[in-house]
Parts: sequence; structure tokens; C-alpha cells
Amino acid sequence: MRLGLRLALDRSFTMLAATAVIVLALALLVLLVPMVSRGTSAVFFRGTVEFRRMQLALYHRGKPGQINAEIDRATAARKRIYDLVDQFKQGIHTDDLKVQLRRIHRQLGQELQERGLTGQDYARLRTISTEIRDRLERALDTTDPNEVRVNLDYVLTFSINPELSSTSAQAYFKIAHQLRETMQRMDLAKRMEYASALRELEGILQELFGPRPSSQLPPLLRQQYGATRWDQAQVLLHKLLYKEQWVQQDPDRPLIRVETPRKTLFAGTSLEELFDYVPRHIEEMLLPRLTVYWQFFVDDSLESHTFGGVGPELLGTILITITAMVIIIPLGIISAAYLSESSADWLPIRIIRMCLNTLAGVPSVVFGLFGLAFFVLTILPALGFGARPSILAAGLTLAVLALPVMIRASEEAIRAVPQSYKEAALALGAGPVRTFLTVTLPAAMPGILTGIILSLSRIAGETAPVLFTGAVAMGPVARSILQPTRTLAYGSYDMAVGDRIADLSPHNQYGMVVILVLLILLLNALAIMLRARASNKLRGHA
Amino acid sequence: MNRTTDLALPTIGADESYPPLVLTPRQDLAGYLISWAGRSIFFAITCISVLSILLIFAFVMYEAIPFFKQYSIVGFLAHTDWYPQSIPPRFGALALVIGSFYVTFTSLLFAIPVGILAAVFLSEMVGKSIRSIAKPIIEVLAAIPSVAYGFFAIKVLAPWMQRHLGLPTGANALNASLVLAIMAVPTITSVAEDAISAVGRDLREAAYSLGSTRFETTFKVVVPAAHTGIIAAVILGMMRAIGETMVVWMAAGNASQIPKPWWDLSQSIRTMTATIAGEMGETAKGSIHYHALFALGLLLLMITFGLNILSDVLLSRNRKSTGRT
Repeated sequence: MRLGLRLALDRSFTMLAATAVIVLALALLVLLVPMVSRGTSAVFFRGTVEFRRMQLALYHRGKPGQINAEIDRATAARKRIYDLVDQFKQGIHTDDLKVQLRRIHRQLGQELQERGLTGQDYARLRTISTEIRDRLERALDTTDPNEVRVNLDYVLTFSINPELSSTSAQAYFKIAHQLRETMQRMDLAKRMEYASALRELEGILQELFGPRPSSQLPPLLRQQYGATRWDQAQVLLHKLLYKEQWVQQDPDRPLIRVETPRKTLFAGTSLEELFDYVPRHIEEMLLPRLTVYWQFFVDDSLESHTFGGVGPELLGTILITITAMVIIIPLGIISAAYLSESSADWLPIRIIRMCLNTLAGVPSVVFGLFGLAFFVLTILPALGFGARPSILAAGLTLAVLALPVMIRASEEAIRAVPQSYKEAALALGAGPVRTFLTVTLPAAMPGILTGIILSLSRIAGETAPVLFTGAVAMGPVARSILQPTRTLAYGSYDMAVGDRIADLSPHNQYGMVVILVLLILLLNALAIMLRARASNKLRGHA
Repeated sequence: MNRTTDLALPTIGADESYPPLVLTPRQDLAGYLISWAGRSIFFAITCISVLSILLIFAFVMYEAIPFFKQYSIVGFLAHTDWYPQSIPPRFGALALVIGSFYVTFTSLLFAIPVGILAAVFLSEMVGKSIRSIAKPIIEVLAAIPSVAYGFFAIKVLAPWMQRHLGLPTGANALNASLVLAIMAVPTITSVAEDAISAVGRDLREAAYSLGSTRFETTFKVVVPAAHTGIIAAVILGMMRAIGETMVVWMAAGNASQIPKPWWDLSQSIRTMTATIAGEMGETAKGSIHYHALFALGLLLLMITFGLNILSDVLLSRNRKSTGRT
């Protein structure tokens, strides 16, 4: 029994330990899968005609003839929606109609004067016009169907008046006819409700299909185009079909989301048809097609990353990384060479090692503070450059941060070179420097390369040290290394928490962070592979 | 083997005359001097890392001193009112210090068991093939940039928590702790694994020969023998968590408060690192707020420096105690 218990304990412990590793693997999956799957959709997605229109207008990409033909096809398919909305609007937006009525009244007066009518005739017809106008306005204002009918009937009695035929007054009667038709199908008491529901609907329609062809272009770029992506269009379509509301059921508990079909809001009206038409014809209206937007890597972003790519961020990250690497590659290799060739017990070496360990343990945000105080505010001004964040300052700060990584990896690589190599070189009469340069260094090169790649990935991914030394969230593309730049890491941060506008384009949010993550994973995979090959090679020769 | 035949071996007694192999005194001296100069230059370059850490301490301290001239240390360390914008501004950093340690300890609560178990698993229980799969997983977890972890925390984990745990906000201590735990595990695992595999084979074999199961061998023999190294691993993991900026800045909610009740992980907190990162961009250079942030940085630097020394001492002791392999 006791043995059984011990064995069971052993078995369960093994399982527990295996679980720990499985938990880590799962954590990695949970971390990477949603990010990568959403992030890659920044490059690979189903683009709509709006996307192609945007690309043509902003970057002159694509064939104009073909795209314009597509736009025409889409516009033709969309016409039905706008017709439905316009028809419905008549019963709702009475202000427009009232303005129209007043215009007709004015126009009629002018016409009558031009005809040479004077005195009593003019006054009489003018009174009739006023009467019609007032009656129509009353019909528009009231919510009582009877009153509407009475007023409209009264107005329409004038339609057979020969004096008014072939004058602007016919416009009155046209309005009256339309009004009667609309009113018959609409619950007037709900007019205010309809008005706000329609406003919302038109907003969604604009998000989905862009501004109406006839209307003025809105000032913001993101309002000038509809859904540029099919996934975005699907979300908007759902928003169009269902109204989302947050309902409080219990004062202590969080609100509950309730979705009501928008169709029911317009039940019985002419607009009901729209909610069948749009889902059935959405593909014709948007013409989605598989798109590879490889320019995501080079394009500048527009309007808080609504459109465009991560070109400047990628460039900035690369520039900062190169600046740092130029400094730490020689420094790191020389330091590693010196450390690996020196006795471990010599006091200065022990001090240097302790300092390296301390340096490796300094929190990254403290590097940021140091970079700000030392490079940005002290060294660069002393050298005659401006005291402001720059790529140079950020690169120098990150170089200090990555120095321990570089030195450790290089030292390991140099130590891994078999002693026999060095002995052979020394026996042939080469001095220590020559031995190092011609024998040890080439043999250790793959390992050192691993170190270089690992420091590269460390530098490219750091955010906190560049916060105050060289990264900006927005701004022009840097023209020299004395200017600050956008970086992938800081951009990822900024898009995740910065503003709500970025939330409207999640593919760009995820795209930015995924490019950073994939870049770093790629570098690390390269490092792991190189290291495996290097150690195999050295083992084979030893 | 064929390659040796390609080498053009110099044939002695051919047309060219070779200098004698013995160096003249001048050549000898020159060679000595060059080698000495080379060594000194190499040494000087190696000292740059020493210089860097000295400069870091010097400059952070230099910028922090003006703060302590104007503000009492007691007010800084013993009060919880961090209101840099009020008049007069108040810089009581206790809530921030506690916030830093709070997320660190809660994350270690997750990270220590997982990290050490994974280390034991990798060094004691599996062969090369599984190790070669599991090791890269841990390396990749270590390599993912902290801003990506922060992004995950705020964009994926926070909405999930809000929806499924019924919390008022997803940006809270629990979220930050969980993500920090995932970040600290690779450090703990790799250092602990080194310490555990450094334990001599003889100890294990003695335990097995006495009839111990693997569980007993691991926990009664191997882990006690490597305990200093394992503690060092935990300390290094703690340093990683306490110095982490982006995740806590993005996911911990940034409310300068001490959770009440203290075990309520669903409250927002704020750490020293997040305060520095969040407020430095908005301060005027040279203002007291600016210097106060450097004071926070100095405090953070001191804490990590202390932890670092501790882990160094423990690791070197571990090397001595298990060093008979």
C-alpha cells in the first residue's frame, strides 16, 4: 500500500510537471494564434471596391478603367437603397419639405408677377398659395392622421384650378400626393422615432458604402470611403440589420447587450424592403475580392492608422536597430574576446563581470531615464546637436541595454572554440592577436552571429527605453538620425491604448504588433538554427 | 583527405630565402609592445560596460538629488498620495512601490510553480527529443517583446475577463499578474534548469539505489542540492517582473491605490515603472515632477541592484556546492 502510494505520487508528480510545460505551450498558442491570425489580415484580406477606389485615389494603384467600371457597377446596385431611403425620408424630414414649400411659394409669386397679373387676381392667387402652404405645413406638423387627410384633401381640391395649372403650384400637389401615399403607410405618432432611427441608419449606410455619390465629400478621409474590407463590411452589415442596445436589468449587475432586428423598427413602412435588399445584394454593391496588400510594409499610415501601413514604423525600427548594432557589434566582440581570454579570478575581470550582470538586470524603463538624462540632455547637446529625442539617442540607449546580451553570447561562442585550434595556431608561431583574428574569431563566428541576432531582436522589441529618447507616436518620416522616429514597438503600444480611432481598424492594430512579433520570432528562429549548426560543427571538429 | 594535396607547401631551399625563425631584439620588443598595446585597448573597451553602469547610476542619481533636496524622503517613501499636478504637488510613492511588489508577488505565485516544475521536467524527466521541442517554446516566450505581451493583455485578455469573469474592467492587477507570470517563467525555468542539471550524477544515483522514486529523488535530493540556484532563478524572475514596464502600464489599470481588501486582484493598481513611463512624457525637464520620476527610477534601480547582488551570490554558491561534476 505504501509503495503503491509512493508510486502514485511519483506518477502524478510527473504528470504535474508535464502539465507545466503544456501550460507554457498553450500560453504561447493563446498568445500568438489570435494575434497572428488577426494581424495577417492586414495584408491578406478580401478587399472591396471601396478599397480599390481608395488605392486608386490616394496612391494611383490599379487600372483606372477597370476600377471605374467596378465603381459604376457598384453604384448602380446601390441606387435602390438610396431611392428607398429618399422615399421614406419624405414623411420624416419635414423640415426639408417645409423649406421646399416656402421656395415654391416664393417662386409662384414671381411667376405670377412675370405673367403680368396685378391687383386683385394677384392678391387672390397669392392668398391661395399661402393657404396651400399653411395647410401642407399643418399636415406635416401634425401626428393625427385625420387632420393630415383633411388638410391634404383640402389642398388637392385646388389641383383642378385652371389658373394654377402649368405653374409652380403643381409642385405643391406633387408633394401632397406623395405625402398622402407615405402617410398611409406610416404611423405618424412614431415620426420622431423614425427620424432618429433613420439618422442612425444613414450613418451606418455611409460607413458601409461611403458618402452618397451626389453629396459633398466629408472632410475626414475615413468618411470618404465605405467599408474597404469584406470583414469590416460583414460587421457593418450586422450593425445595419440589428440594433444593439445595452439594457439594465438589475442595478447591481453590468448591462446586458440586446440585439433587435432593425427591420422591426421600420415595420410596415416602405423602408422595410431595404433590410431584405441589402443582405441579398451586398456582394454586388461591394464586389469583394481577395487582396494582397503587400504595400502595408511600405505605406505611411493615414488618419491614425485608418488606412495605410506601417512603412515609417518599420523603417524607424530598422534605423534604430542599425544604429545600436553599429556600436555594439565591435564593442561586444572585443569585450567578449578579452573576457574569454582572461583569467576569471583576476579582480578587474570579476568587477567587469559583476557590472555586466548588473547592467543586464537594470529595468528597461531606467535605461529610458538614463538615455534621456545622458544622451538626449547631456551628450548630444555637448556635441552640438539639439537636446531632443532622436534615432541616434535611442540607438545609443539600446546599445547600452543590449551590450550584456551581445557580450554573453559572443563570449560563450568564443569559449566554445576548442582549445586545440588555438594551440595549433600558437604552435605555428602566430601571436595572440593573430591567433584570435585568424583562428578563434572565424571558428566562433556562427556563435557570435547568434549573439548578434539575439541582440538585434532584443533591440527591435524594446519600447520603454525609446519612450523618452527617440520614439514618437506621430510625425513625419525621419530624414536623418538626428530626428525622432515612429517605431513598431511604440506604435503597437500607441495603437493598443492610444485612441479610439485605432480601434476602428483592428486589422491595422494587430498588423503592427504582428509584424513586430514575427520579425522577432524570425530572428530568434534564425539564431536557434545557427546555434545548433555552430555547436554541431565545433563538436564534429573537436 | 584530398585537400592536403592542394596545399602549396613551401619547399625549403627553393628560390626565395626565408628569414631566420629567431626574432631580432627589436622585433621582439615591437611585438611585445604591440601585444601590450592591443591588450590595453581591449581592456579599455571591455571597461565600457563598467563605465555604462557607473554612468547609469551617476546620471539617475544626479537627476534624482534635486528632488530629495525639495521633498522629504519620508514623504516620498511613507505616503500614498501621488498627486504631481496638485498645488503643492505631492509625491508619496508608497502606493506605487506596493503596486510594483504586488503584481510581482502575485505573478510569482503563478510563475514559481510552473517555472520550477518545467525546469524539473526538462532536466530530470525527458530525453533529448522532447527537450528540443520544449526548449524553443520557452525561448520564444522569452523573446516575444514586452509590448506584444501588453498588447495581448489589453486587447485579448482584458475584454475576455470583462465578459467572462464579470469584472468592471479588464485592466486590473490579475490581468497584469497573469501576463507577467508568463514573462517571468522562461527566466525562472532556464536558470533553475541550469542549477538542477549542475547537481552531480552521484547524488541522484545514490538516491535511486536506495529505492527512491523519481519524485523523492527530485524533491529530497536534487532540489535541496540545487536550492541556492533555484532561489537565484526565482530572484531573477522577480527582477524581470518588477522591472517590466509595458505590460503593467498597459494592463494594470494605472490607478495609484493600494488594493482594499488586499487580496482583491480585480482592482486596478499602478507600479513605479508604469508611472515613470506614463508621466515622463508630460513633464517639463527640470521640474520637480521630472526629478521625482528620476527618484522613482533610482529606487527601482536600487531594488533591482540589491536583488541582482543576491542572485549573484546565490548562483556562485550554487556553483561551488554542486561543482563536483
